[in-house]
Amino acid sequence: MAAASSSDSDSGRAESNEASSKWLDAHYDPMANIHTFSSCLALADLHGDGEYKLVVGDLGPSGQHPRLKVLKGPTVLTESPLPALPAAAATFLMEQHEPRTPALALASGPCVYVYKNLRPYFKFSLPQLPPNPLEQDLWNQAKEDRIDPLTLKEMLEGIREKAEVPLSVQSLRFLQLELSEMEAFVSQHKSRSIKRQTVITTMTTLKKNLADEDAVSCLVLGTENKELLVLDPEAFTILAKMSLPSVPVFLEVSGQFDVEFRLAAACRNGNVYILRRDSKHPKYCIELSAQPVGLVRVHKVLVVGSTQESLHGFTHKGKKLWTVQMPAAILTMNLLEQRSRGLQAVMAGLANGEVRIYHDKALLNVIRTPDAVTSLCFGRYGREDNTLIITTRGGGLIIKILKRTAVFVEAGGVVGPPPAQAMKLSVPRKTRLYVDQTLREREAGTAMHRTFQTDLYLLRLQAARAYVRALESSLNPVSVMAREPLKLHAVAQKPSRRVGHTLQLLWPVPCLRQAPRSRAGHARSRLGTFLPRTGGALTAMVQGLGPTFKLTLHLQNTSAARPILGLLVCFLYNEVLYALPRAFFKVPLLVPGLIYPLETFVESLSDKGISDIIKVLVLREGQSAPLLSAHINMPVSEGLAAA
Amino acid sequence: MGLLDRLSGLLGLKKKEVHVLCLGLDNSGKTTIINKLKPSNAQSQDIVPTIGFSIEKFKSSSLSFTVFDMSGQGRYRNLWEHYYKEGQAIIFVIDSSDRLRMVVAKEELDTLLNHPDIKHRRIPILFFANKMDLRDAVTSVKVSQLLCLENIKDKPWHICASDAIKGEGLQEGVDWLQDQIQAVKT
Repeated sequence: MAAASSSDSDSGRAESNEASSKWLDAHYDPMANIHTFSSCLALADLHGDGEYKLVVGDLGPSGQHPRLKVLKGPTVLTESPLPALPAAAATFLMEQHEPRTPALALASGPCVYVYKNLRPYFKFSLPQLPPNPLEQDLWNQAKEDRIDPLTLKEMLEGIREKAEVPLSVQSLRFLQLELSEMEAFVSQHKSRSIKRQTVITTMTTLKKNLADEDAVSCLVLGTENKELLVLDPEAFTILAKMSLPSVPVFLEVSGQFDVEFRLAAACRNGNVYILRRDSKHPKYCIELSAQPVGLVRVHKVLVVGSTQESLHGFTHKGKKLWTVQMPAAILTMNLLEQRSRGLQAVMAGLANGEVRIYHDKALLNVIRTPDAVTSLCFGRYGREDNTLIITTRGGGLIIKILKRTAVFVEAGGVVGPPPAQAMKLSVPRKTRLYVDQTLREREAGTAMHRTFQTDLYLLRLQAARAYVRALESSLNPVSVMAREPLKLHAVAQKPSRRVGHTLQLLWPVPCLRQAPRSRAGHARSRLGTFLPRTGGALTAMVQGLGPTFKLTLHLQNTSAARPILGLLVCFLYNEVLYALPRAFFKVPLLVPGLIYPLETFVESLSDKGISDIIKVLVLREGQSAPLLSAHINMPVSEGLAAA
Repeated sequence: MGLLDRLSGLLGLKKKEVHVLCLGLDNSGKTTIINKLKPSNAQSQDIVPTIGFSIEKFKSSSLSFTVFDMSGQGRYRNLWEHYYKEGQAIIFVIDSSDRLRMVVAKEELDTLLNHPDIKHRRIPILFFANKMDLRDAVTSVKVSQLLCLENIKDKPWHICASDAIKGEGLQEGVDWLQDQIQAVKT
């Protein structure tokens, strides 16, 4: 909860308004028809002319028509169809020769298509895997027409459910077919030997033997059969093979293949495995509590986004460093590298249309986009360094350019624990008394609790008795007797000679009533707050500064239908302190429901600033016991002090 | 300043010297424009990206221009402001075919116009909407719209469509600049 609130306050600071934004809006096309993920975006100077192009492995609007698109500026330069959905796109230098134009690799299905100068150059296919012998046998039988398609289907389904070696693509496609199409499919395919190939899930590049920016790189592939392959950049032979406990989905590599490298692979089982050059199997394992949605390496920190709407930072040995909570689900992540300032940060595209940029735990910037962001890419585009390319769920393309003068600053001191946590508390020393007391509490806890409960119940009982007594002796402003349902509300007000007159001219009555009340305070009888279910009610109010106060009683007949006649109001007060023009008067007939304001003036006689209580009693003619009563705490006369 | 100098000035033998800044993003064609304005025997054949800045001189009918040809690359753009004081006129070159970076050109122009050394001076600004020969170039009117040039109220400015490789539109711009500088001086 605390983390969430701090990240909210973060966003307020890091979020910049349009005018002082760090980004220039270079291009926005909501109908660009680009549907892709961050892994299928790459920026490279494909023609060696200093103009960086954007390579997009486009999945097509509904994942139907995958295409390879190359964009120059805001326009599509070339477009070519792909045989299968793209898994990843990468650009890399294949050899040392001039001109040093990078090749483009696109992983799709079981193949990597390599393009040079945007022309197909090489197709690498994953090595074939041994097919399931049972499956092989079935197709052989089909070839000799010893088995009809329906039986074949049943047998294959049986294999699919049980066997450890999965079926080939041919068999899987056969199982999808309708009954009518089966015959034709079998006759068409039965003569072919069945092949089993796995597919590529992820791809990245790894420098071969130099750490330079323009050094030759190897391709690193992650496959569906839980393996990692490193390819030679020129011959496309497999240089190294590593196996993982699960299917890799995100890869992050650092170092050089011939020297030393570290490979982090986020897998479908929710773990991140870290491998080194010499290890054929994972050296470290990070167990996430949720599925990973992105993996980015920032300097030496691995940042993993998880489905629990949070980013986690880990060291390359798998030690957890920090966690940041996001306001919405993370859809994509990528690295932001501002070379001119040596800054590396993580960008996370969220489901609520925000792109958040974090440097470690600190939020640097928030970009709002009109749609949910599905892919992000930052780098040199066209001739501009520091360009951010965003594609949205609806197929939109947004290009933003970071201002030359923009500096990302961490949003104040919200990094790390709150300052209160670092403050040292003055914890008293553990005295003998303290220890004894603690021991006693531990031993006799139940008894102590019981004693406390007993006292609490006694207190409640006493309070209830006092309340009943008050009701019985009519010491309250709400009558409980069914015959005389009454309510009294008393207000005292001072018609001020100095201020009141002008006020009355400027503002009508309500303000005049309000102003003195706030200064002198009104003494509403505390008992008056008891709500009546039946009977009458009384509220008293004192207004004014003194020496003359106005006391208003609000008397209400709370019965449903019966009017009340023959009531009297009597004030009991100290005659040395106060003077009332009428201390005893008759109340007119009380119509049910209406509130009758009964006003009287109270003159404060004392000049010593003493105040007292005035008792208000509502009586029935001929009875000595009051129906209602209220105690009014009179305020100190301020008018006297001022005069 | 001898009598001879003044005399030659009056007779129009010696031309008045003015310092002009040539600004604009990288690859917009600043050096190519300046190169084309030089006498044909002094022109260089191949233009390479300018590092830092270079000082070039050329003459028009009545003025002798000393041009500070600044590099437009991002990392050198912070050099520009050190020369604002000396400049008596500004040539701002825009690549009309680079739609994407028009916002960057606008941003740099706004920074220039708001700089204290420029803000309160009535300094003439000549815009070259360059690379008109390219297919995806936008018109000079569109360039002036994209850069919001109509908001410049306190300085004389002029925009010329140009093609620096062929030298089209350059003379028109320089003539305007010459008139402006002479109008300020007299």
